[in-house]
Amino acid sequence: MRWVAVAVAGLVLVAACGPSGGTSQSGGTPKAGGTATIALESELRTLDPLDSSLLVEREVFYNLYDSLFTIDPSLKITPGLVKSWDVSDPMNFKFTLQSGVKYQDGTAFNAQSVKDNIQRYLTASTSRRKSDLASVSSVEVVDDSHVIFHLKKPGATLLATLVDRAGMMLSMATVQKGGQNFSLAPVGAGSGPFQFVEWQRNDHLTLKKNPGYWKSGLPYLDGVTYRAIPDVNAILAALKTGDIDIARTIAGKDVAGIKSDSSFIYRDTPAIGFNGFELNTGTPPFNDPAKRQAVALAIDRYGILKNINFNIGVVGYGPIPPSSWAFDSTEKIYDHADAAKAKTTATGFTFTYKTTSDPINQQLAALLQSELATAGITMNVQTEEFATYVQECANHQFQACNVNWSGRIDPDGNTYAWWHTKGDFNDSLYSNAQVDAWLEDARVSTDQNKRKQDYLNAQKQIVADAPYVFTVFGVSAQISSNKIHGFTLYPDLMIRMAAVWKG
Amino acid sequence: MTTYVLRRLVLMVPVAFLVTVGVFMLIHLSPGDPALIVLGEDRNPQAIAAIHQQLGLDKPLYVQYVIWLGHIVHGDLGRSITTHQPVTIAIGERLPATVELGAVALIWSLLVAIPLGTIAAVRRGSLADHLATGLAVGGVSIPNFFIGIVLIFFLSVTLRLFPFGGYVPFNQDPVENLRHVILPAIALGTAGAAINMRFTRSSMIEVLNQDYIRTARAKGAPWRRVVFIHALKNALIPVVTIVGLQIGGIIEGAVVTETVFTWPGVGRLAVESIFNRDYTVVQGIVLLAAFSYLVANLLVDLVYAWLDPRISFA
Repeated sequence: MRWVAVAVAGLVLVAACGPSGGTSQSGGTPKAGGTATIALESELRTLDPLDSSLLVEREVFYNLYDSLFTIDPSLKITPGLVKSWDVSDPMNFKFTLQSGVKYQDGTAFNAQSVKDNIQRYLTASTSRRKSDLASVSSVEVVDDSHVIFHLKKPGATLLATLVDRAGMMLSMATVQKGGQNFSLAPVGAGSGPFQFVEWQRNDHLTLKKNPGYWKSGLPYLDGVTYRAIPDVNAILAALKTGDIDIARTIAGKDVAGIKSDSSFIYRDTPAIGFNGFELNTGTPPFNDPAKRQAVALAIDRYGILKNINFNIGVVGYGPIPPSSWAFDSTEKIYDHADAAKAKTTATGFTFTYKTTSDPINQQLAALLQSELATAGITMNVQTEEFATYVQECANHQFQACNVNWSGRIDPDGNTYAWWHTKGDFNDSLYSNAQVDAWLEDARVSTDQNKRKQDYLNAQKQIVADAPYVFTVFGVSAQISSNKIHGFTLYPDLMIRMAAVWKG
Repeated sequence: MTTYVLRRLVLMVPVAFLVTVGVFMLIHLSPGDPALIVLGEDRNPQAIAAIHQQLGLDKPLYVQYVIWLGHIVHGDLGRSITTHQPVTIAIGERLPATVELGAVALIWSLLVAIPLGTIAAVRRGSLADHLATGLAVGGVSIPNFFIGIVLIFFLSVTLRLFPFGGYVPFNQDPVENLRHVILPAIALGTAGAAINMRFTRSSMIEVLNQDYIRTARAKGAPWRRVVFIHALKNALIPVVTIVGLQIGGIIEGAVVTETVFTWPGVGRLAVESIFNRDYTVVQGIVLLAAFSYLVANLLVDLVYAWLDPRISFA
């Protein structure tokens, strides 16, 4: 909702595929003025990156706050509030900051502000950023525009982490003034293209243009309004009535209709998450690797892509999607369904698959059930209310559980937490010493080629051991009225509004 | 009268207490961990433990209850687990929208129910009676979410006569406010309209058969006057009971309608809070719903005395 680890995701397909060509779309000379309304798939809970855990929150943050680093559409790390950097010393990262940047409350962004922000993320009792910044030992202020991040261990993933919430810089004056209510009304806290106006919970969140934005000429729009519309059919209806201008997800079945309607724009690009279901290696029947492999072999990924995702996206074989530099294009060991091979691997067993009542998850379950039946495997579907299902999957009380991942910019975020023996998301209780070693090495190695080799090795092993059955990779999409221009698609699903204009 | 009201108010306390115990147990015993919901993809053992400690979820349930009750007695409903917003503010922000929706739905239901019920009673057995009865059966049988979806499809998406969902505060734009409230109010009020219509009809039939009506007719009072002045006021007593209970039940009724129409009221807050296991908010809303029932019941009893002077509270 809700987040993400589930469900909503897979299916709501913004899933997957499709040609996208360029990721940026233009339509003449940018025009200033006007406002745009964006649909969010769920209500936000906080406007403070410190305690945020929802995808929809990040979507708003990227327009309110600036991060130390940014990405380009190919996921390459690019300058943000950090203008240039030197990471040749793996234990001490040296950053040069942009100068002349001011927060919307008028206070200056500088090295002390970076130190204070990181300190707050590391120490506040409600901070959810502690594990993001686990590699950071301290931040040293060299002068107003230079800082050094001292690390506890080499942190190959740190720059990517600082693109997201852990790297978002807030005015400490406003944070302190806001106190306990800061997360509800962060007026003037950011340095981003838009500033907070009001948040009428369960209805709308309004931002207005930041006239003093440090990137000159931007943003074009006078304001952005977000509306939480939790149902994909309702999002489509709102798009058609003109109540919203931009959406990130609609139901897969409706994509073709939108594509063929000239009053709308539909474009997509491969996203960074993965979809599928986890198998519990700690309990029967899936403590037997052959049974996990049989399930992975019997699944027809192309059938899922076509019937559930309406061919939006691509089939998935491993945890790292095609948008990443660590994608393994050779990985096809479970390509098309192979019921015969599945049968010779393991057959005649029964297991229970947990999922939520989301209609698309239900259709997927029914499809999986019928595909597995052809290999002599009986899958029972257990539908649960969301909170119950989350708890049972997290506590290893399952045989198979339908959990998707929204994805991270660095491949570490799509692997370590899930399949390292001590990973926080290792619901499957998977443990392989070699995989642990590769994933650990990739965390500390600064040589990208070496990291890539680590991930290729780890992916092959994870896919072969099948603690998770990958099905499809989703897409990041622009679904908007044809009046929206200057929209750049990013694989991380975030809608960045600074350069968007309305014609 | 004053003694009566006071006695009723005192009696509310034990009822409310039982409600709090029930609610607290129900929500805490249902599976699901708010820490996992709050953390989402950021979950890790340290963060989960920290949240459990902050919320006091690591203490035994009865201790948690006593702590919560202690705060309530001091008028403190606590803060939302997911948003950290004070529960009183979270509910207070959404209450106007729910009250408006409930009030318009009630007006709609009475505007439909009383005339139709009266006509159906006066012309018993006629085509009008059958039609009204048929509509009532439909109104009660069709769930309000379905009525909502049908209204959205035809009047909003297809004909574009009304906006699709959402809410505009009355003080911001009264016209838009009314345009937004009409469809959800019809969806929410239709079942009530059907019930009220049936009650008006049967009660009216009963009253019209009474001696004083025949006397009034025999004295030569015009039929119209007999129906609207002599009969209707008395016939409405049972309707008032039902309407009173409907007022008390606005919050539950709004749960589904507000979700369908993305109406930012207490009902939708309740749904989201239950899904998120936001214990403090759910408890606050149920407490409010229980009190509105109790107060509505009391008011109904007081209105009785006004409608029928034979009823006294001595």
